[in-house]
Amino acid sequence: MTKSLYVDPKTVRASGTLTAPDVPVCQYSKTLKTERKKFSDDQLINIYEDMQLIREFETMLNVVKTEGTYQGVEYDHKGPAHLSLGQEASAVGMAYTLDVNDHIFGSHRSHGEILAKGRSAIRSLDDDTLMDIMKNFMDGAILKMVEPGCEGNVQDLATDFLLYGSLAEIFGRENGFHKGLGGSMHAFFTPFGIYPNNAIVGGSAGIAAGAALFKRVNQKDGIVVANLGDASMGCGPVWEAFNFAAMDQYDTLWDDAHKGGLPIIFNVFNNFYGMGGQTAGETMAYGQPSRIGLGVTENGMHAERVDGYNPLAVIDAMTRKKQLIEERKGPVLLETITYRISGHSPSDASSYREKEEMDAWRQEDSIAAYTEQLQKAGVSTEKDIEDVKVRFGKLVGRAYRLALDMEKSPRIKPQAIEGLMFSNRHVKSYDKTRECDALIPMEENPRLAQLARKSRSGIKDGKVLPKNKIFQFRDAIFESMLQKYYTDPTLVAYGEENRDWGGAFACYRGLTEAMPYHRLFNSPISEAAIVGTAVGYALEGGRVVAELMYCDFMGRAGDEIFNQMAKWQSMSAGVLEMPMVLRVSVGNKYGAQHSQDWVSMVNHIPGLKVVFPATPYDAKGLLNSALAGSDPVIFFESQRLYDIGELFEKEVPEEYYEVEIGKPAKRRDGADLTILTVGATLYRAIEAADLMQEKYGITCDIFDARSINPLDYDPIVESVKKTGRIVLASDACERGSVMQMMATNLTRYAFDYLDAPPVVVGARNWISPCAEMEDDFFPQPEWIVDAIHENIIPLPGHEVSTNTTNLESLRINRLGV
Amino acid sequence: MATPVIMPRFGNSVESCLIVQWFKNAGDSIAEGEALCEIETDKSTIEVEAPVAGTVLDIFFPADEDVDVMTNIAAIGDAGEDVSSLRPDGAGAAAPVEEVQEEAEAQPATTVIILEDENDNTALTPVANNAGDSLASPRARGLAAKNNIDFSTLTGSGPQGRVIERDVQAAIDAGPRLSPAAAELVSKELVAPQRGSGPGGLVLAGDLIPAGSGVAPAPAVAPAVGETRTIKVKGIRKIIAERMVQSLSSTAQLTMNATAKATNLQVYRAQIKAGAESAGLPNITIGDMIVFAVSRVLPRHPAMNAHFLGDRIVEYDDCNIGVAVDTERGLMVPVIPQAQRLSLAALAATFKPLATSCQEGSIDPVHLQGGTFTVTNLGALGVEHFTPVLNAPEVGILGIGGLSLKPYPGKDGEVEFIPSIALSLTIDHQALDGAPAARFLKDLVNTIENFQLALAN
Repeated sequence: MTKSLYVDPKTVRASGTLTAPDVPVCQYSKTLKTERKKFSDDQLINIYEDMQLIREFETMLNVVKTEGTYQGVEYDHKGPAHLSLGQEASAVGMAYTLDVNDHIFGSHRSHGEILAKGRSAIRSLDDDTLMDIMKNFMDGAILKMVEPGCEGNVQDLATDFLLYGSLAEIFGRENGFHKGLGGSMHAFFTPFGIYPNNAIVGGSAGIAAGAALFKRVNQKDGIVVANLGDASMGCGPVWEAFNFAAMDQYDTLWDDAHKGGLPIIFNVFNNFYGMGGQTAGETMAYGQPSRIGLGVTENGMHAERVDGYNPLAVIDAMTRKKQLIEERKGPVLLETITYRISGHSPSDASSYREKEEMDAWRQEDSIAAYTEQLQKAGVSTEKDIEDVKVRFGKLVGRAYRLALDMEKSPRIKPQAIEGLMFSNRHVKSYDKTRECDALIPMEENPRLAQLARKSRSGIKDGKVLPKNKIFQFRDAIFESMLQKYYTDPTLVAYGEENRDWGGAFACYRGLTEAMPYHRLFNSPISEAAIVGTAVGYALEGGRVVAELMYCDFMGRAGDEIFNQMAKWQSMSAGVLEMPMVLRVSVGNKYGAQHSQDWVSMVNHIPGLKVVFPATPYDAKGLLNSALAGSDPVIFFESQRLYDIGELFEKEVPEEYYEVEIGKPAKRRDGADLTILTVGATLYRAIEAADLMQEKYGITCDIFDARSINPLDYDPIVESVKKTGRIVLASDACERGSVMQMMATNLTRYAFDYLDAPPVVVGARNWISPCAEMEDDFFPQPEWIVDAIHENIIPLPGHEVSTNTTNLESLRINRLGV
Repeated sequence: MATPVIMPRFGNSVESCLIVQWFKNAGDSIAEGEALCEIETDKSTIEVEAPVAGTVLDIFFPADEDVDVMTNIAAIGDAGEDVSSLRPDGAGAAAPVEEVQEEAEAQPATTVIILEDENDNTALTPVANNAGDSLASPRARGLAAKNNIDFSTLTGSGPQGRVIERDVQAAIDAGPRLSPAAAELVSKELVAPQRGSGPGGLVLAGDLIPAGSGVAPAPAVAPAVGETRTIKVKGIRKIIAERMVQSLSSTAQLTMNATAKATNLQVYRAQIKAGAESAGLPNITIGDMIVFAVSRVLPRHPAMNAHFLGDRIVEYDDCNIGVAVDTERGLMVPVIPQAQRLSLAALAATFKPLATSCQEGSIDPVHLQGGTFTVTNLGALGVEHFTPVLNAPEVGILGIGGLSLKPYPGKDGEVEFIPSIALSLTIDHQALDGAPAARFLKDLVNTIENFQLALAN
């Protein structure tokens, strides 16, 4: 939504025909002989070598998985091995033209891409740079293992380094590229431009698009290649990523320096099978994946099918596509056909395909065909070719023996994984070398002028001020964002309605005027892409704030939150950081799909920090903390609180400050009972506490958790030890609520001090009904008092309005409601 | 209509009896008069018989439970009859779970529980909140343990009758129960702990601790102990324990010792022994002879044959002399009623079967009551003098020690050794002074030394 673009009814209603460009299919017709003008003999041999290296490597894994031995040395590899035997030419062709600034992202079947891109990078780097990389990576741990036995030059040493680092990673060893925490399906090596491969089919599409966004926004060299499989074309998030990378606004609204579709090639390795499902002809409708491009952009994403059994054809296509991207005409969809002659995994008996089919592809084997051409062209002799095979057999054998040796290649100490779950760094700016792009100086922001007239405390002379006179929760979000925008040039923010509208809840009002499009823009309604691209942006080293307008929409970004945002720091063993904040607004009034508090879901996933401020002071302080950290933070906001003023702290300071993530806030001191809340329920708990004090003389300690993970329980435990009684309340449905976990923990920490079991008051385990009925759904102050009376301490003369007995709890659990 | 089986009452002093064992289970048939269970009371074991024939419908208390007298302990009737109306409050066997739930569901959320009056000390009255398995919050348990309070004796005011912190706090605020002696001693310097070593946590004089110390001083280093056996204090042991402590804490005991020449006793006993069979006399022991002597002396010293009841002293004409008997179950004191009227032979003949039934545990509790004076004999065990503990509210108890040779001045200025018997008299100084007690003892010595004269009376 933007004012500068005019939706002209005359134009949009005019009659016409939509046409699509042609999609070239396997049109490469040159031969090795004719390409000798373009490639030197060494280059042509390199292409063969890279393919043969992959063939030997994957063969090794295949026999290890199926026979438990390779070159006479036994090893039992328990983990996965999704091999790409037969697909070597497509990987080598893809990587051949790329340098280290070009970043590739892959899939579960990406060993070949790692080796191809690694070899390509090694050839593109000078010896000193290569040595620096090897010496500095994990303090030279990998280099120390391969250096003594290497007889070749620095590039040979780097190949040993690449083989051993990859294999140690696949075998789950500490000398792996990321300490064995990623394994076969997640191996990568960023110094060579090899970025995370992904075990979730299509998982790389959004992340790679985010990496391309990073390159564009921060004007970095290189392109991004997302290596996907044909079956990933059936995944919605892949479609979302295509569209995100191709949005019109890059051409229509972004400034000249940042203009144009994102610099990314979505390269689909089409091996015709998604595990055992045959894509073309069975599970998909596209005929061929490149057709999808026609549905995305007017230029059809420059889609093309290329013969991935001919490395030269792939190199030719990649060269042309890279050129398009350099001309800011991305994104590109490339379909590289190929065929795996091994199973999906070693357990695959290929029961879904005929032997004739596999034999036919073996007849066309890319390496055999290519070496025949090398010989015909007189570039290599049969002996040369055999010598390479023998040499690589030795190289792979050496890496294999090193990697399986438990003494030389031990596993990481299990406890060390704990230290890799978060990076816990304080980073003021992810790029101190440049100025922050902005349209106006921060001080001239129109909203700042408005806020100057507001009271930064919600209370004056003991009275709560009217809404229009106060600095509100939403203003706190704005102020934190504004300050960060002028501190960290890499910061970008996007989501639905983030620009112009200022976010559905006006948190970003005033930022549209201040920030250029490439730093604040409206995303498509593509939650998977919103979160997935943010993951890619962050792991490339940029700070990003993505927004989900309603918590309920998290369902649309499940994989991106649970598997990508949460996992990449630890799966990379700290190689990657994830300075990403996902703002999630918890709704109400709009019924069952717009009113859910899903704190417990993200809290359950290891690797995420989860906060839920309930006051303007905390909103600014916690967002500042999240925006100064290096970890992924889910930042919940309640729509009930956007207009609330500061009622606890003296005021919300104008200057920058941080509220430490993980520390609960004590909102009130009492003696008889402790109340712990998450989110907006704080205010209802306060009402309940007032009621308890007035009617029954019971005073309460009230804690606002603020942070759900991490959480320092100490002050709460101390309080519970004092009072012996605790009620926990939040707006989440009671069953499985995070409050239940807190209750369990507190029972454990303060068991001997408890005068009654901790009791959780949550929303009903129902759908949330219409706005007018919400008081029957969300916890009310009376419910809290009822729970206290019934379960903790009978209150003289109290008449309950809800049934909070154990019997009722048993009943609803029996019924699952 | 089912018939209840009631825990019988034996005399006024018996408040509760211990169920030793059940002979029948719920569901068994039983004949009228058939033994249903065995109970241990005061100082004896008795079988409780079925009052009617029928099926044992329910048993309300398990074995080993101490049950108040006159409480329903079981119900007999026709199979299937409802016995819920006969179930006493706090009985062990819980009602079926379903019933509880239905009852609770019938009145779900609208329960209004009125707080106990804070000044109400009834919290110390034992009220089982859940039949032996007391519900108490961890916090309440901790507070109770810290203050030496038995939470199971408290009334729970929390949800489901749970004993919660405030219940324990109320008990603490109500303060400890003091024995009269402890109450007199309590001062600024000497304070009472929350719970004493007396029955039901009664604080005795010895439990008092110096103010400010918080707790009684613990031994610096607890010595290591080897294997131990824990014996539950119950039944007769429990009664003796309570009685003895009560005796020592509620009376002012003074023991005086004397020695009586036993020559005449021995001579007379030898005569009886020689001619007992022909004379048709029972076996008469030295102990019998001394009890006989006491029965003849007591009427001349009515202050010794009395009960001290705090605000009054009751003197008795009849000499109901209790004689301590050592049994496997513990000390028992059967009473020889109106001993002053009995001949020596009759006295011995009365006592013998009482002692035997004590040994067998079958004595009727009636024979253990109504004593006015007690004689206890440790002579056979080689003890000379000792300090017998009064059988309160009696004011005197005589301890008989062993026979030994004592030196006496002889005719020619030589020392003469004469067999003598040791006598230890404990009196309640509250009831009488030392001199009248000494006069009684002197009279008794004379009577023993001239035993034949006593026989004439």
